[in-house]
Amino acid sequence: MALLFRFLQAFALLILASSVAAEHTSNWAVLVSTSRFWFNYRHLANVLSLYRTVKRLGIPDSQIILMLPDDMACNPRNAFPGTVYSNADRAVDLYGDNIEVDYRGYEVTVENFIRLLTDRLDEDVPRSKRLGSDAGSNVLVYMTGHGGDQFLKFQDAEEIGAWDLADAFGQMWEKKRYHELLFMIDTCQANTMYTHFYSPNIVATGSSELDQSSYSHHADNDVGVAVIDRWTYYVLEFLETQVTSANSKLNLGDLFDSYDESKIHSQPGVRWDLFPGGEQEGRLRTVVDFFGNVQNVEVENANATEPGSLKEDLAEIMRLVEKWQKRDEEYSAIIGDSAQNATEKVPSSSNVNLAPKKTVGSTKMAEDSNWAKQLVGLSVVGACTAIWVAGSILGRSAV
Amino acid sequence: MTTKQGDQASPQASASQPNESTVKSAPPPETPAAVLTRFRVIAAFWAVIIFLGFPIWWKTTSIYRAHLPIEEMVDWADGKACRPVFPLEIHLATPSMQSIEAQHLLRTTQHTLDDLNEFAAHHLRLKLANDSATASHSVDNGFDGAINAEGQAPDTALTVRLLAQEGLAAPRSELHAATTQLDVFYPPSQVPVPSSSNSPLSAFIAEELQQLYGEEKATIAHILSGHTGSLDSTSPRIAESISRRLRRSMKYAETYHLSFSLFTPGSEPSSWDIEAAVKEYLSPLLQAFEPISNFTVDTQVQLYANFAPTAPRPEYDETEAAWTFKKEDLSAFVNAAEWPLNPSIGNGPTINFILYVPDPSQSPLIVKENRASSWIVPQWGGVYLLNPTLANSKQGQVNPAHLSQDSLGPAFMTFSHQLLTLLGTPSTPSSLPLRLQTSIRIRAATLLLSASSTMGSLARLTESLPSIPIPASVASSVSTTLSHLGATCSHLREGRFGAALASARVAETEAERSFFEKSMVGQVYFPDEHKVAVYLPLLGPIGVPLVVSLLKELKRIAAGRKARRAAAAA
Repeated sequence: MALLFRFLQAFALLILASSVAAEHTSNWAVLVSTSRFWFNYRHLANVLSLYRTVKRLGIPDSQIILMLPDDMACNPRNAFPGTVYSNADRAVDLYGDNIEVDYRGYEVTVENFIRLLTDRLDEDVPRSKRLGSDAGSNVLVYMTGHGGDQFLKFQDAEEIGAWDLADAFGQMWEKKRYHELLFMIDTCQANTMYTHFYSPNIVATGSSELDQSSYSHHADNDVGVAVIDRWTYYVLEFLETQVTSANSKLNLGDLFDSYDESKIHSQPGVRWDLFPGGEQEGRLRTVVDFFGNVQNVEVENANATEPGSLKEDLAEIMRLVEKWQKRDEEYSAIIGDSAQNATEKVPSSSNVNLAPKKTVGSTKMAEDSNWAKQLVGLSVVGACTAIWVAGSILGRSAV
Repeated sequence: MTTKQGDQASPQASASQPNESTVKSAPPPETPAAVLTRFRVIAAFWAVIIFLGFPIWWKTTSIYRAHLPIEEMVDWADGKACRPVFPLEIHLATPSMQSIEAQHLLRTTQHTLDDLNEFAAHHLRLKLANDSATASHSVDNGFDGAINAEGQAPDTALTVRLLAQEGLAAPRSELHAATTQLDVFYPPSQVPVPSSSNSPLSAFIAEELQQLYGEEKATIAHILSGHTGSLDSTSPRIAESISRRLRRSMKYAETYHLSFSLFTPGSEPSSWDIEAAVKEYLSPLLQAFEPISNFTVDTQVQLYANFAPTAPRPEYDETEAAWTFKKEDLSAFVNAAEWPLNPSIGNGPTINFILYVPDPSQSPLIVKENRASSWIVPQWGGVYLLNPTLANSKQGQVNPAHLSQDSLGPAFMTFSHQLLTLLGTPSTPSSLPLRLQTSIRIRAATLLLSASSTMGSLARLTESLPSIPIPASVASSVSTTLSHLGATCSHLREGRFGAALASARVAETEAERSFFEKSMVGQVYFPDEHKVAVYLPLLGPIGVPLVVSLLKELKRIAAGRKARRAAAAA
């Protein structure tokens, strides 16, 4: 009987453990466009539409890394200044007045992208430019641009190889920087980009097979260029029409089943084999696991009395505060005794000495002695002047 | 045969015979001096290539990889280098007992404790407090008791005072909430006689101690087992609460930024006694947490802060006579897009605390389900709805323009509680000093494991990416990490948890620094065709004449040697 009980208990724990393992605690999105110039308007529009969607589903700006290599809204050729549209009906201005671009213009490089993923950044890089994900984070990586067989071009100047991307994800996995990762890429021959991935818990999907192009969906005649790519268009259509709220129960299987090759004009691919449980398990992940944000708010019950509850804690904190006040009183009494001829009496003991160290804002301290530098500079200037004077005197004497 | 040989051996002689018709069209034979010069030129070129060019190419294209103690690092990651143990020293003060009785009680209690314990890494060691001075000293210290970083003696986790009390049927215990002291009152008749092997009193003490440290034990077991299993005896309820706590608590950081924000949809209140409130209600807690992390405090007041356009609005509830939010709507409460909540302050995560004062037209505002006015957003921060007493004015009821320290009291107490929760402080035992000590031990265990696993990751990374550079600074960080890990392990073994946490913090920082070393990035992979594309245009035009001339010269030397051998044979 006892054995049976033990067994049941272990079983309960197992279920508990598995349910815990399936959960993630935060969501991050890395949205990257890699091409510049006006005629690549659609790539920026792709990324901005995705940005709008993940924001709508609840990922805050602080957890979205947006990389835009060009500024279409302020491009002189833009007939609608200050706006970016991904549809010819121009119903939704993607640029809006609330958009946070983290990497812009020439900051969008392969190096910066890899540094972002692996967090090998300078100490002074602000947190808004860092991917702060951890072992409990689901990460969405969306890339778009011009690519080829196993590479994606950045900024017309360099390219990222499928190997580098795979290694970057490998390092992220090693350092437990993601829990599950959804990789999406819309470019020509996109599916070749995820062939080299080797780290677990990745679902990857791309717009086209090897030797296939990804096409744009439609052009806006007033803007003058194509405004969105086909694959992204249909992914967005699914996200916007079906995934209407952050509580949506639609899963990745539904998303991938919505791919229609006759509409997309290329063969989208999905890679499941890195995911534990493969396709079966992966299909069950909900779309908002990656596109939305978890917010399991915990309301505190003001009436509960179990240990660790609000009421208990308040009592303990109260006692702590009282204790510190008492200690301060004693301390100020000692101070008062020792400094008898101090004219002013300590008026209230409650808020004296409580914070002896004032929090100083973070400042960069340069410990260089300026004098030495100035001396060096002065002597260099002096030497140069001396040479010049000597030269001119000698030159005159020679003449 | 001989004449031909003569021709070659003395070109001078054959050149001096102009009447031979076949010689006319051929170039004049080279002089030995010219051959020698050409040989020297070619040799010089190749010497430059081999002794200068090749080393420079090798040097400039090779990747510096500092030597790392891979094996040791992997040992740490696999847990072979250190088995963390947590021996807690508990002092037994027996003012009203004779020393022989006390000794005996100690022995039997220790025995019972060891029998009860099933998780060997965490065990309690009883010790007699031989004089009252030590006992009172450690009680006095309270928070600092666990933090003698330099001392050689183990930290005292708890002092148990045994007090005889008449008229008790069974022993009872009382935990001092503000100190690390447990009072046990017992009927004098239950003092164990030295002949008996166990007594109800020792069983009671053992049981109490076991219960006191039950959650800590389960947590540490959970952490050490890598979040997969836990103790058999852990009740599902405790296991659930542990994993829930680990889920919502922040990731460890050296520095946390606390950001207190006052949000209100109108123009008032526009000021608050924040400095006094932080000083009064929060600094004691922050001081107590000093050995674990550093904190910085920032505050802001944001007026006219609206909800997100898509967020659900509060509804008026007749029965409660209040405006209410449904529990499931709370996740949309914080308008992350528009409220300036993410100041980029230095390194380290920000914990946000939001004090929301609703508009007078929507006051009071509470949570529908349980009338609560505060909630925690896991790994992010906390929210408190403050409904101040409304003031009357010409425009009807308005919020007060200024929030005094007293009115902020409940909010800041709640924030303190939320901070405790977000920092992963365990919920039992119900004495704050003990809970802080427990969280020191838990943090030490967590950091030890995380620094070790970073070492393992770095070791695997070095082996799997042969083309990644490893600068010398990484090697020095690694050796610092390993030495501090060793120190942590030995501090833990000897029960000095404050010191152990201090070295674990250094180890963690250094481990992170070594893994995230800035220069360990590079586009590490080049496909072969890229290499050909880079080298061919450069080396082709130089390489072809050089290789061809070398081959020619080799052929000439070979032919000369053959001829000489043939001559020798003849």
